[in-house]
Amino acid sequence: MRLSSSSSLAHVIDDVAPLLPMRDENMAVSVSQADVHMHQKEDGDEVEQRASRSDSGSGEDSLDGLLRRACPLTPSMSPRKRTTSQSKTEPPLLRTNKRTIYTAGRPPWYNVTGTTFKEAFVIGLCGGSASGKTTVANKIIEALDVPWVVLLSMDSFYKVLSKEEQELAARNEYNFDHPDAFDFELLITVLRKLKKGKSIKVPVYDFTTHSRRKEWKTVYGANVVIFEGILAFANKELLKLLDMKVFVDTDSDIRLVRRLKRDISDRGRDITGVIKQYNKFVKPAFEQYIEPTVQVADIVVPRGGENFVALELIVQHVHSQLEKRKLRWDISALASAHQGQPLPKTLSVMESTPQVRGMHTIIRNRETNRDEFIFYSKRLMRLLIEHALSFLPLKPVSVETPQGTIYEGKRLSGKRITGVSILRAGETMEQALMAVCKDIRLGKILIQTNHDTGEPELHYLRLPKDISEDYVILMDSTVSTGAAALMAIRVLLDHDVEEDKIFLLSLLMAEMGVHSVAYAFPKVRIITTAVDKKVNDEFHIIPGIGNFGDRYFGTDAPSDWYESEEGMDY
Amino acid sequence: MNNCFIGTLELDVVTCNSMPCHNQQVARGSRCEQSTLKQVRFANGDGSDSESVEKQSEAAVNSDPPIQLKLLPLTDQIRELQTIIRDKTTSRGDFVFCADRLIRLVVEEGLNQLPYTECTVTTPTGQKYEGVKFKRGNCGVSIMRSGEAMEQGLRDCCRSIRIGKILIQTDEETLKAKVYYAKFPPDIYRRKILLMYPILSSGNAVIEAVRVLIDHGVQPSHIILLSLFSTPHGVNSIVEEFPEITILTTEVHSVAPTHFGQKYFGTD
Repeated sequence: MRLSSSSSLAHVIDDVAPLLPMRDENMAVSVSQADVHMHQKEDGDEVEQRASRSDSGSGEDSLDGLLRRACPLTPSMSPRKRTTSQSKTEPPLLRTNKRTIYTAGRPPWYNVTGTTFKEAFVIGLCGGSASGKTTVANKIIEALDVPWVVLLSMDSFYKVLSKEEQELAARNEYNFDHPDAFDFELLITVLRKLKKGKSIKVPVYDFTTHSRRKEWKTVYGANVVIFEGILAFANKELLKLLDMKVFVDTDSDIRLVRRLKRDISDRGRDITGVIKQYNKFVKPAFEQYIEPTVQVADIVVPRGGENFVALELIVQHVHSQLEKRKLRWDISALASAHQGQPLPKTLSVMESTPQVRGMHTIIRNRETNRDEFIFYSKRLMRLLIEHALSFLPLKPVSVETPQGTIYEGKRLSGKRITGVSILRAGETMEQALMAVCKDIRLGKILIQTNHDTGEPELHYLRLPKDISEDYVILMDSTVSTGAAALMAIRVLLDHDVEEDKIFLLSLLMAEMGVHSVAYAFPKVRIITTAVDKKVNDEFHIIPGIGNFGDRYFGTDAPSDWYESEEGMDY
Repeated sequence: MNNCFIGTLELDVVTCNSMPCHNQQVARGSRCEQSTLKQVRFANGDGSDSESVEKQSEAAVNSDPPIQLKLLPLTDQIRELQTIIRDKTTSRGDFVFCADRLIRLVVEEGLNQLPYTECTVTTPTGQKYEGVKFKRGNCGVSIMRSGEAMEQGLRDCCRSIRIGKILIQTDEETLKAKVYYAKFPPDIYRRKILLMYPILSSGNAVIEAVRVLIDHGVQPSHIILLSLFSTPHGVNSIVEEFPEITILTTEVHSVAPTHFGQKYFGTD
């Protein structure tokens, strides 16, 4: 991560702040110290992109030391991290030498009916090569201070070169600055899906072989998308997707100097080659394709990343747009709306046998110690999962037995099963699932409630690859309002899992949670061992089970270390 | 419901016609829907569903002991487990994995047959919850060798339960089951017994084991037999001999997977 220049902006904003109208209160103050950071990762996509030729202008390779002097670094601001289509993903926590900072989560982007109501806000950044687009993008991200920002670079969408074209490229004779060099069709598809909140795959372009790597990078969960590229405004369809168009207008002499510096000292290329390429392609392309598009821009930013007034204006506008799109849904209103309604058909409550009731009695009892709590909740989970699996579709088969007869039985038909747990408490069910389903793949979603807004927020996500065909067993230990479950289901749908292939499993659910999930997602199968009537003002299930995660992991107060005098307890 | 099961019921009826009265009860019950048979419960079971109440009252009218055969609800998952266990192409690893899953389900259902009392507890939210508490004084008994496969399943549900063992082998000459060894907790006479034996083929081993238990003072009505597969003949022999014991199984089928013990322990 490059930080030096971005910190300087923050400093300036601090100075300017009193003069500006207040930004979103949720974001501005509380988050400025605990650093915002979003995270998205899937298995196998940790591929570093970006090799020789690209436009990644950052503060470090800008030529103008004198400009930097005007804005001293402020080391107090911690570095910001984010997902981009071009760099490695980062861990969900940010560790400084003093403390661990928890990252901000993503508030709901869908309404009570489960449909996406917030399209991502897409900012298009256009400008000539080495004009400082990436610097501007980084500074916008820094100043926006909202979680889940995705930076999408046009460089990822270069076309795969044929053998002849590769040879041209090696001799600096391939035109990388012409519209034909980009795969606009793919770019538009990807950007459109991303804007709709879907999970997308971005190709990883290898500049040494001029081809796409096998592993594409998965990007998901954008509230704001920043799309940058030299020809960002060169396609009509593309323009329709951009909510805001910013043209970075840097003097061509400065751009050439930056380019020379970057290609020669950073990438070890010879000066003749660079100048040849510049004169033959870069300059004409700029004049023919890039410069004219300044007309469609909403804002033109002269001097690129050092133009703080322009950046602040952009940020303000984005904030006001995000505020307009915000649609808080009142969960208690939802609860009363369903009161007294019959429970949905998609709900299946396990038969309340004496053993099930006996186990409930133990785990609901506040006097139960952790050892017993863990043991009996695990037993109950095992039964719940066995029960849930009986809803999977089976097909009749005939098998030959060692007794020499044919036996008419049944086997699972179709696709594989994937488990997804909602952290923290849902993780406790993974073991029971693995004990019943061999070799099952497991994904995790961390959703936490924001205590200021009462909203669930998405913090972390790690799903197995290609889950769109799978049956997904979504696990959470308890469901009270259903807010976390709704978000998790929305995430799965955004990854193209079919709604009727999602099974929501929970040890205990409140009627309210059942209703809100069934209302939003009528095809999701809801499976539990018991449904309690009520939810109290703190959204705890009544009579309930207490905080399942705290009791299971022992993070509830007070310590019970004196309780166990015997045995191997720790 | 599956066809092979209906087939065995008809077989049942035929074989039962010449049998004493309580076996005719089996036949009568069998002729009804499978669900009726499935619902047949322990006399002191909860009897919450109307069908089993009906069954009990019918039994009362006939003044016969109630029929104590209980089948696990036949879910698709159980069908799949049965299929994998019976399939001769199944690897031993998969076989053991599926057998353990099925055993666990049978054990859980067996534990449901044990006596309990109502009780009320307070939840962490300070609310009352009306629950149940199971009584103490139970005991597992496995019939060696294949019954031992079910011990771990019981242990996984009841961590500190006492487990007795009986070794029974078939005499090669007389083809009769013979008891070689038995070791029980000293107070077994006052305990409820979960007797474990996965495959009821002829039922002879179980009949011998129950005899040993009765010799130790155990009441037949306190015995719950946990098994995975049985033949109609096996069930009938046991019911004929000991009408009071409860038999739990997942499938009654004319062909029993007699390879179970060999394949589970890898001695085939």
